[in-house]
Amino acid sequence: MSVTTTPGATTGAAIRVDDAGVRYSLKLTKKQTVRDSLVRRIRREGDLHFWALRNVSFEVPHGQSLGVIGPNGAGKSTLLQVLAGIITPSEGSVEVNGHISSLLTLGVGFDQDLSGVDNIRLAGAFMGLDHHVVEEQLEAIVDYAELGQFIDAPIKTYSSGMKARLGFAIATSVEPDILLLDEVLATGDAQFREKSKQRVKELLAQAKAIVLVTHDMNWVEEYCNRALLIEQGRVVADGSPAEVVEIHQAHSAQRRAAQLAAGVLAGAKPIPIPLAKR
Amino acid sequence: MHALGRCEVARATLAAVTSRPDAPASFRSSSVRPGPLQLVRDGIAETLSRRRLIAYLVRADLKKKGTDTLLGNVWWVIDPLLQMLVYVILVSVILDRGGPGYPLFIFCAILPWKWFQATVGDGTAAVSSQERLIKQIQFPKLVLPVSAVVAGVVNFLFGLIPLFGLTILFYADHLSAWILLIPLVAVVQFVFSLAVAIALSSINVFYRDIGNLSRHLLRFWFYLSPALYSPALVADLAKKHHWIGTLFQLNPWTHFFGAYRDLIYNGKAPDFMALGVVLVGSVILLALAILLFKRVEPAFAKVL
Repeated sequence: MSVTTTPGATTGAAIRVDDAGVRYSLKLTKKQTVRDSLVRRIRREGDLHFWALRNVSFEVPHGQSLGVIGPNGAGKSTLLQVLAGIITPSEGSVEVNGHISSLLTLGVGFDQDLSGVDNIRLAGAFMGLDHHVVEEQLEAIVDYAELGQFIDAPIKTYSSGMKARLGFAIATSVEPDILLLDEVLATGDAQFREKSKQRVKELLAQAKAIVLVTHDMNWVEEYCNRALLIEQGRVVADGSPAEVVEIHQAHSAQRRAAQLAAGVLAGAKPIPIPLAKR
Repeated sequence: MHALGRCEVARATLAAVTSRPDAPASFRSSSVRPGPLQLVRDGIAETLSRRRLIAYLVRADLKKKGTDTLLGNVWWVIDPLLQMLVYVILVSVILDRGGPGYPLFIFCAILPWKWFQATVGDGTAAVSSQERLIKQIQFPKLVLPVSAVVAGVVNFLFGLIPLFGLTILFYADHLSAWILLIPLVAVVQFVFSLAVAIALSSINVFYRDIGNLSRHLLRFWFYLSPALYSPALVADLAKKHHWIGTLFQLNPWTHFFGAYRDLIYNGKAPDFMALGVVLVGSVILLALAILLFKRVEPAFAKVL
C-alpha cells in the first residue's frame, strides 16, 4: 500500500480526490486455480479490464457531510473503499487529512466466536487505536450499544440490530476526523436510527467530515449538505442535496421506464399457444 | 421514555472523549511506488507497530481452537503421541527396524514437523479466510500470517509436555543439559516457517490450490527428510549419486531434524555451523517473502 505521510496538512480539505480511477482486472477477480489460469493463457484471452470508477474528482472540507447516491453497482462502495485506503486508486490520487473511521458494512472486525467486549478490543486494534483509548471508551461503547448482559456472550448469538448498534458505536466512538458510512443507518430499529442520526449530527457539529453512501433520499436531503451522484463509475452530478436527488430520481424514473419497455418487449416474445388450437 | 433517557446519558459519555493532537495526512496514488528495500522495511515496521493486534488475534485463535473440541488443548498433547505410535507400530513392530529408543528418536522429528505443518496450513489460509475484513478496513495485512505463525508456537509448547514426559519416564539415559537449547533451534525454525507462511498466504489469494498442493508437497518433504530414519541410512546412496547428497544438505529439514535429535536423543551439541547457515538462509527467505507479500498486498481487496 503506497501511503506516504505528507508533512502537515497541505490543504484545508479533509478529503481531496483528484481524477481518481479504479480498474479491476477481470482476469484476477475471478477466483481461480492454476488450471483456469493456464487454460486462459493457452486460449490467449486478452486482459479484460473494468473501470469501477473513473475521472472522479471532488473535495470534502471539514464539517461537510457528503451524501453519495446512485444506482446499484455504480461504484459507490468502491469509492468508500478508496477513501478508506482499502483500495489504492489505479490512476489519479486521493489525499486524506485526519483520522478515518470507516463503517463500510456493519460488523467490521467482528469475530463471531468472541464476546462483545473482545470484539470491541479487536476492532480497536484493527483500526490502529491505542489500546488505552479503547479501554477508556469500552464502557461508553457498551452503554451506547445497549447490549446489557449480552456483552460477554459470543456475538454469533446477537441479533442483527445488536450487531448494528455495536458496529456503529465502535466506529463513531473513536472520534474520527472523517467518518465513512455505507448503508449502515438503514439497519436497526427506528429508535437506533434516531440515535445514530443524533450522533452523526453531533460529529458534524464538531466539524468532522462525513461521507455517507445511502439509498435513503430523505437522509441525504435532511443531513447532508452536499450530494454526489455516481452512475457507472462517473460523477454525474455534484451539488446541493435537493438538486442532486432530483436528478437521481429523474434518472431512475427513466431507467425504470426503459426497463419496463424492455420487459414488455421481452415478455411479448414467447406467446404461449393454447394446446387446443394446435 | 426510560430507554430514551438512557441513551441521552450514553450519548453524553460518548461525546466526551479525549481528543488526539495528531491528525495524520495520507496521500495515496498508484504512481508512488516504493522500492523493494522500502517495502520490506515498511512491512517489518507496520508488523512491529501492530503487536497488540497480533496478540489479540493469537488469543482469539487459541480460544477458538481450545474450546470447540471436547478435550480442547489436551489434543495438542495427545496428537504427536498418537502419530508417534503409528510410526512405532509400522517401523519397529511390522518392519522390525528402528532400533533402541526408536520412539524417542522419531518423536524428536514429529514434534517440530507437526508445528511446521500446522504453521504452513494455518498460514496459507490466513489472508484468504479474512476476505470480509480486508474489504472493509485498512490495516497491514501482514499481521494475519504473522499471528497464525505465532499461534502455532503455543501448539509447539504444548508438544514439549509429552516430550519431557517421555524422556524423563522412559529415556532418562538420553537426558542431558543440551535439551535446554531447544528454544535456539525453535527460533531458527520459527523464522523459516514465518517466511514460508507469509509467501504462501499471499499466493493463495490468487491461486486457491496452494492448500491442496502444499499438503502433498509437505508429505513428500517429510518422508524425503531424515525424520523416520537417520542420515546414515542414505549415506551409501549419497556416495553413489552426489546430487542426492547435495539435495539432502540443501534441505533445511535435514539440519532441523539433526539439531533437535542431537539435543534430545543423542545428548550432544548440535551442528552450530549448519544451524547458522539455515538461519541466514531463512532470514533472506523471510525478506523475500515480505517483499512478495507487500508487492501484491494492494490487490488483495480487489481480488478477494
